Amino acid sequence: MDLPYRHYFEAMPCYVTVQDRDFRVITANRRFGEAFGDHRGRYCYQVYKHRAEKCEVCPVEQTFRDGQVHSSEERVTCLDRTEVSVIVYTEPIRDEHGHITAVMEMSTDVTDIKRLQHQLRDSQAHYRTLFEEVPCFISIQDRDLNIVDANRSHRETFGDFLGCKCYEIYKHQSEECLPCTVRETFEDGRLHVHEEVVTSRDGRAINVLVHTTPIIGASGRVDRVMEMSADITEIRRLESQLSSIGLLVGSISHGIKGLLNGLNGGTYLVNKGLAANDPARVAKGWEIVQRNVERIRSMVLDILYYAKDREPDWKPLSAAAIVQEVAEAMCDKAADLGLEFTQEVQADAGMIEADEKAIRAMLVNLAENAIDACRLDKAKASHRVVVRASDGGPVVRFEVEDNGIGMEQETREKAFSLFFSSKGSEGTGLGLFVANKIATAHGGTIQIVSTVGEGTRFLVSIPRTRPPHPDPRTADIAPGTH
Amino acid sequence: MASKQTILIIDDEPDTVTYFSSVLEDNGYATVTARNGAEAIERVKQARPDLITLDITMPETSGVRCYRDLRETEAWRTIPVIIITGVSGDFRTFISSRKHVPPPDGYLGKPVDAAELLGLVRKLLPA
Repeated sequence: MDLPYRHYFEAMPCYVTVQDRDFRVITANRRFGEAFGDHRGRYCYQVYKHRAEKCEVCPVEQTFRDGQVHSSEERVTCLDRTEVSVIVYTEPIRDEHGHITAVMEMSTDVTDIKRLQHQLRDSQAHYRTLFEEVPCFISIQDRDLNIVDANRSHRETFGDFLGCKCYEIYKHQSEECLPCTVRETFEDGRLHVHEEVVTSRDGRAINVLVHTTPIIGASGRVDRVMEMSADITEIRRLESQLSSIGLLVGSISHGIKGLLNGLNGGTYLVNKGLAANDPARVAKGWEIVQRNVERIRSMVLDILYYAKDREPDWKPLSAAAIVQEVAEAMCDKAADLGLEFTQEVQADAGMIEADEKAIRAMLVNLAENAIDACRLDKAKASHRVVVRASDGGPVVRFEVEDNGIGMEQETREKAFSLFFSSKGSEGTGLGLFVANKIATAHGGTIQIVSTVGEGTRFLVSIPRTRPPHPDPRTADIAPGTH
Repeated sequence: MASKQTILIIDDEPDTVTYFSSVLEDNGYATVTARNGAEAIERVKQARPDLITLDITMPETSGVRCYRDLRETEAWRTIPVIIITGVSGDFRTFISSRKHVPPPDGYLGKPVDAAELLGLVRKLLPA
């Protein structure tokens, strides 16, 4: 067959054949000849695929039928038996009457592209597996802080909320965090690291170490940010025991020096009284000695109690009596700050089996928190704190209510985390942590009901009898560390 | 006989106040006491003490604040002050305030020895 532009036909960088209606190869270019050999007298399916019959789906046949261009993807076999992937295009060749006399088939070798596609697919699958299964929470966020992808650990812990804002998912809040390290990474394109407390979908507070890293798009700018958060709750829990002991030691060191000073005073008076034969002075000095010895004894017991050398001292305890005792102890402090501190105790609130010192420390911590919440509130003219005890059947209910500043949802969720404080430099982040630990060690719970600007209620439920097998992780309770 | 020199003892711990006042009164000094910074300023106005012992960790007005008030008031600036505290960190806090106020005249860490207290007082208040 004689073709115009034969030179270009020969030079085309693909396999080109012209076939008749029987799929016989009438002519072919040089590249085809080099790869598949002599075409003369042979059929397309014989040359390309070493088949005895034509293929089930044949683009040449389709073009003969409808005169349209068709394409397909095929695997063909060269003379040297190597397999080649090709993309096939067919084009009708017409005579002067417009009748299709032959079809030109052009096959482009895409073997390398196919191989790269497979490698890319395998590589993507590996990275996806890594992304999905790595034991930390990973999310990818866009510039509006929407979560556009998340791994399995993230979905299982926080829920499948693609498209939602990260701060809604992690912190259940309606505004973005300040500072926001994802935002910082978008701005400077750098890695940022910080520690955070987030909340799982079942309400569990999780300490996380967060790394944010930029994902650079084709344009060369940061398109997305990947946020990787390692769960360090367990590490923090273990650290908390050591840190709490450290803080406790620091605070009792101050106390012990004061008590030793008191003992010095007492012995000074006793010695001077004995020397001067002054019984009144001896008695006064001895009273100071006894008082300070008793206080040192109590303090040492607290330390041993914290260090687990002393088992919780389970004994029957009157719920009404302990609340009255705490209320009386807190009254003066509240009065000094101009607050009203009252108690509402059901006479039949009943007894619980509990560690008296721990329960007292828990109520004092909650009451001090309530007083602070009132002290920080500048919006109301007067403030009050109410402590209650009531009968809840199998449990005793304690309640500490204030009309102070109230808590945001985020503050509520983190309130029991160690060293979390919303009071800036004034808070240690220990008081509510210890209170919650004590409630848990007694098999009980503390719930927080709060409205910003209106106030807060801590609802404590303590079972009437001690838990059969207290959780060893929470059994160490630290009274008096606020 | 000359009138007794007066020492103001500022501390929130009653046993410490009893201790210091006994030691000082036994040795010829008159004492007045205050249990917080605000009360201390009132006593200074009333009693015009010759020397002050000052605790740092106290409720409400702290010892640091009280010391600054004393040093910023012309009439009280020359009254010798001995800082007495149980926490070394308190003293560091105190020292950090030196860029604003002059250093104290003396420092004692609790527990305080009676002879040590007396020695420092005698040094700062020659008869």
